[in-house]
Parts: sequence; structure tokens; C-alpha cells
Amino acid sequence: MGTRADHARVPSSVLIIGGGLAAQRAVETLRARDHHGPIRVVCGEQEPPYDRPPLSKELSARPLRPPDWYAERDVELLLGSRAARLEVGARRVRLEDGEALAYDELIVATGARARRLPTFAGRPNVHVLRTLADARRLRAALAPGVRLAIVGAGFVGQEVAATARGLGADVCLIEAADVPLAHVLGPRLGGWFADLHRGEGVSVELGAAVAEALPAVAGAPVSELVLTDGRRVAADVVLVAVGVAPETRWLAGSPLADGISVDAGARTAIPHVYAAGDVVRGCEHWEPAARLGSAAARSILGLPATPPLPESFWSDQYGVRIQLVGEAAGADAVELDGAGRDFTALLHRRGALIGVLLVGRPRELPHWRRQLARPYEERSAA
Amino acid sequence: MTLLPRVDEYACCGHGDCAAIAPGVFRVDEIAVVTGSGPDDVVLEAARACPAMAIEVVDADTGEPVDV
Repeated sequence: MGTRADHARVPSSVLIIGGGLAAQRAVETLRARDHHGPIRVVCGEQEPPYDRPPLSKELSARPLRPPDWYAERDVELLLGSRAARLEVGARRVRLEDGEALAYDELIVATGARARRLPTFAGRPNVHVLRTLADARRLRAALAPGVRLAIVGAGFVGQEVAATARGLGADVCLIEAADVPLAHVLGPRLGGWFADLHRGEGVSVELGAAVAEALPAVAGAPVSELVLTDGRRVAADVVLVAVGVAPETRWLAGSPLADGISVDAGARTAIPHVYAAGDVVRGCEHWEPAARLGSAAARSILGLPATPPLPESFWSDQYGVRIQLVGEAAGADAVELDGAGRDFTALLHRRGALIGVLLVGRPRELPHWRRQLARPYEERSAA
Repeated sequence: MTLLPRVDEYACCGHGDCAAIAPGVFRVDEIAVVTGSGPDDVVLEAARACPAMAIEVVDADTGEPVDV
């Protein structure tokens, strides 16, 4: 069992690029485990680290810690500052303003940026949602009767649809696939989500992408969308919610430029460089970002990685808590218990339980997480 | 050794895994609160099971954090 003394060493300097959840958890673990060296966090936004899930669920955000927390722990936050280049040989990061920050240990936690669509380039009433500033802009554009067209019916698009309905907006969800979330949940459960939104008065347009934004005048606000099959959707405000791309542009020229993979200890292929959060392949969602941020700190401190847990994530829509634990993609059978807005869906592959979708049953989550933690072979006929 | 859990109220998301594992130690409403004590192995299991890594465990005798 580790004690503080076991991990005593000459304090190294830790530089964290990115100021989201993964960065925050890395800082917390470092200080909780008595890392006394300097910690610097380069936050691209003007905000200290905040929790991102409320952006789509409430169009707001909460700070992850109170403002004084950082100074009290001698953690330096560089707000509104962005990295421009990683210089691996010199072990330093060059910022956009030219300043060079040296590090002993580096954590890359720059997250992801919202994907945009070229169709909407330069249009003033077209939004994406990734940052608190984005959420504030979108919130300010919504009011009762405002027509909001959401392009992309993934979880972010759906959560904003629910939030905007709550604000009295007139909402249309547009999805290129024939069923929302089909690639994650399969057609049957995906269809449930389409019905959920239709039941709340959202117009759901499936199986068509956006072909054109009208008027076809550069820089003019969009007033109507023409879909690939000719359908038309009138809009006062457009939200593009078609996923994210890892923010690795500043790593151009480094060995991490083409995407970042890490081990359970958040180590990249480069010595003294760790990565956590949405910037890492396969690390989207809240729980893995939090855990990998902490794992990076543990590796820096020489502590072993914590064992993996079956991951869950959640969505809140129209007051319904929706949770997925384990995996859903690749299921070949779905077993339903319950109906409407109160059901459990057991997802099986070749007779073994691989994931569980809970709708309106938050108290069942721990039970199913434990079931999914059992070895795969033991889950057959679960 | 006696182990005491502490819930980090900023990190807790109210998943409820801790209370499912150690109902005598945790109660979860909006977030988890510690309501009692329990056997060391149960406290450790609950801390390890937290998806938000929001449970710290300290040795009651020394006050030192314990690696979960």
C-alpha cells in the first residue's frame, strides 16, 4: 500500500495543455498525492476548468472547482492561452504568443473541437456547441417561437432539442441516417429516441443531409435549409451538431500529429508526454476523460494505473435520465423490460451481455455495471 | 487498520455505485454522502467502483490517503 513517503522525489514540473475535465483531474490527483512541483495549466478559453455536460443539457456550465482552489494549491492557470507547437527534443511547448514553456512532464489535454459544415461557412446565425461561449451565444438566440434547426441527431443534438423545447423554441432535428444513434444503439433503440422527440413536438427529419442553405448569399443569415431529398426546413437559428474532431492541430510536425493513443497509464509513445480526454482516440465521454486525467497524474507520480471499470455515460432529455453502461454497438439481440420512458434494454452479442441502456431507471446503473465487470464468458445467458 | 471514506462533492455525479456496494456507508441523493463506516474491504471496493473517482480513502489512524 502506497504512502506519501514512498513517492517522494525531486519535484518535477508538470505542464498541462488544455483546461477541461481531464486536466482538472490530473491536477487534483497530483496535488492530492503530494506532488509539490510546479503545475501550469494552459487553458484555451477564458474560463477556469468547467464541466461540459451542462452545455447541451442546460446551455450553461459549472466550474469544476471554486475560483480560489487553484491559487490555494499553487496551480497556475494561463487563461485564454493556446499552444502552437510541441518541441519534443527541447521538452517545451511554444504558445501562440511566442512564449516557450519548458516541462519535465507534459499532459496533452486539448480536447476536441466541433466539426463544422462547409455549407454554412460565414453564416451568422449558424452555431456549434463545444464551449461555454458557444452555449451562451446559442442560449441568447433562443426564445419562444424561434425556429431552431439542429443538424445531427446525436446526443448533443438531441439534448439541445430537449433544452430548446423547454425554452419554447420550435425545433427540427435533421439526421442523415435513417434512425438516430443507429450506429451506437441499433435501429430499434434509435427509433425510440426519434419517437421521444416527436412526442415532445420536435419535427424529426431522417435520412437526409443538408444540401443547401438559403438564401444562397454569402454572409447572409440562413432562413431555410434544403435537404438532399428536396425537403425544406425553415429556420431562424441553425445548430450544427455533427460530432467533434480531436484538437491536435498544434501538434503538427510532432509524432502525435496523426492522432493520440495511450496505455492505461495515459502514456503516449513519447517519453514524459501523457494525454487524456477527448483528444485521445476512443476517450470521448466524461468518465474516461476523468479517469485518464487522473491516470496521467498517477503515472507521473510512479503510481500504478487503477483497474478499468465498465464505462457509462448519461443523457438528460425532457426530464428523463438515459444511461448506457458497457457497449451497445455490435449487439445482435436486445431484450426489453418496461416501456415508454421507464425501461431497461439488455444488449447481447452471441448470447453474452455487452451493454445496458437504462431509461428512467438511474438506480439500476450500479447493478448492471457490476454485472458487466464480470468476465465476458460468465455473462452468457445473464 | 480502519479506513474512512470521504466523498469529493465537486467530483461526485451521484451515480450511486458506492451506496449499492456499501449501503451502510453511503447514501446517494443528489450526490453521495458518508453515513457510516464499514469493513475496510467494502470501503475500498466502493471507492474503486466510483466511475467519477470521487471517493478518497484515508487511514483513520494516520490520516494518510490510501491508494485505492
